[in-house]
Amino acid sequence: MKRVLIIGGGSGATFLANTLDRRRFETTVVSDSALHMFQPGLLYVAFKNAPVGITRAERRLLPRHVHFLQQDVTHVNLREHRVRTQAGTELTYDEVVLATGVRTAAARIPGLEEVNAQFGDYHSTIEQAQRVWRHLAEVRGGTIVIGQGAAICKCPPSPLEGALLAEEFLRDRGLKSRTKLVYFTPYPRPYAAEGINDIVAPILRERGIEVRTFFDLDRVDTANRTIHSIEGEQIPYDLAFIVPPFIGAPITYEPAEVLDEDRLIITDKFSLRVKGVESAFAIGDGTNLPTSKAGVGAHLEAKVVARALAAKPARFDGRTHCPMDLAYGKGTFVVGSYAAPTVKYAPSRLNHWMKAAMARIYWISLRGWLDPLFDVYFRLTAPEKLAARQAHRLRPAA
Amino acid sequence: MAETEPRTLVDAREESCPGPITDLAKAYRRSKVGDVIELWATDPGVKADVRAWAAKTQNEVVSIEDQADKVVAVLKIHRR
Repeated sequence: MKRVLIIGGGSGATFLANTLDRRRFETTVVSDSALHMFQPGLLYVAFKNAPVGITRAERRLLPRHVHFLQQDVTHVNLREHRVRTQAGTELTYDEVVLATGVRTAAARIPGLEEVNAQFGDYHSTIEQAQRVWRHLAEVRGGTIVIGQGAAICKCPPSPLEGALLAEEFLRDRGLKSRTKLVYFTPYPRPYAAEGINDIVAPILRERGIEVRTFFDLDRVDTANRTIHSIEGEQIPYDLAFIVPPFIGAPITYEPAEVLDEDRLIITDKFSLRVKGVESAFAIGDGTNLPTSKAGVGAHLEAKVVARALAAKPARFDGRTHCPMDLAYGKGTFVVGSYAAPTVKYAPSRLNHWMKAAMARIYWISLRGWLDPLFDVYFRLTAPEKLAARQAHRLRPAA
Repeated sequence: MAETEPRTLVDAREESCPGPITDLAKAYRRSKVGDVIELWATDPGVKADVRAWAAKTQNEVVSIEDQADKVVAVLKIHRR
């Protein structure tokens, strides 16, 4: 029996633990939290006041044969295959999978911690997401600024989704004429990938959302209620929902060189092996992979690692397939891969429905039971095929 | 080319969403006046993005070159 240690308790870790063959692997999951959160749900807590039912006990999402430890991992010695937790537990392994995720790091931008504490955010906790809703619900007028505080963002569509849902809320409440909604991004266009930008840029214009591109957040002046960019521009705000920067988990590694300056694990983008060491893989948001930080990525990466651990051919193609809520009941998907540019995917009610459906089937999907269906779906929606179909569909409208 | 400036190589080849501009923005945040950033990318859209970025940030595009397997953009930081 090979001893596999999975550090983390998010979607990649949980799915992997569910799919490893119990006859071949003795699997242990160690996570700092007893609870597993459906993280995309925070967007709806923040902008739709959705009922909070987005967490489950991690232990109950794992099969009985998988060991589960709720402890904070503090040290990982990748050379000696030893892991230490804050409680002093020492763990050893034959293979380790680092699925340690990212944390918000508002302190990296002066003033941002204060603004996030005041107005909330929708990338950390339920309480913070509820704080966003409380402030939004109290709006009577003024300038609302929503944007992406750093180049790396967990769930890249989410900053724009926040702006689009806020606009829908303001219109529903009859507050559009008394409010100004400004969206800022460090990128050259509202959405970094051009295929999706072609879809969302006209929508933002139609809905009267002012867009400030190349706005790389440098600091927030909370006294004067303005945000400032490295490029030297400023935007005044009455209310600001700013997606903070993200960094990797506070774990000390041996060798230390496996982390980049954002504490992300330096990972081979095809094999998902941690660079420079043996018997270690990394999946999910905590890696430095040049692809979207999203649950679907963690899921697909976990599949690749499961194959590699079973000594089967395994190569990650960089596939992304992130649902994006465009408000008013419509949605699109951000679909691409290392080799294929992001598809220009027309908005539809079906896409929105699929995003809503994912929230319902998420917990079952972690068990791996839906993967035969997902495999077919992902094949049918491969970016190359999807791009050809969408080009045909979008032509008459152009 | 005789150069004494510190040069940061940003390898953004075969990157999917959100693409090489993320790496450029990250490198810019860490840079200081006088630095040179060399960006490698395979995304064809990078050329227009780099020019637009440089115009907006008032930094200099020293060169943008199509090579057989990649686009190489060299930028000099004048403003931080």
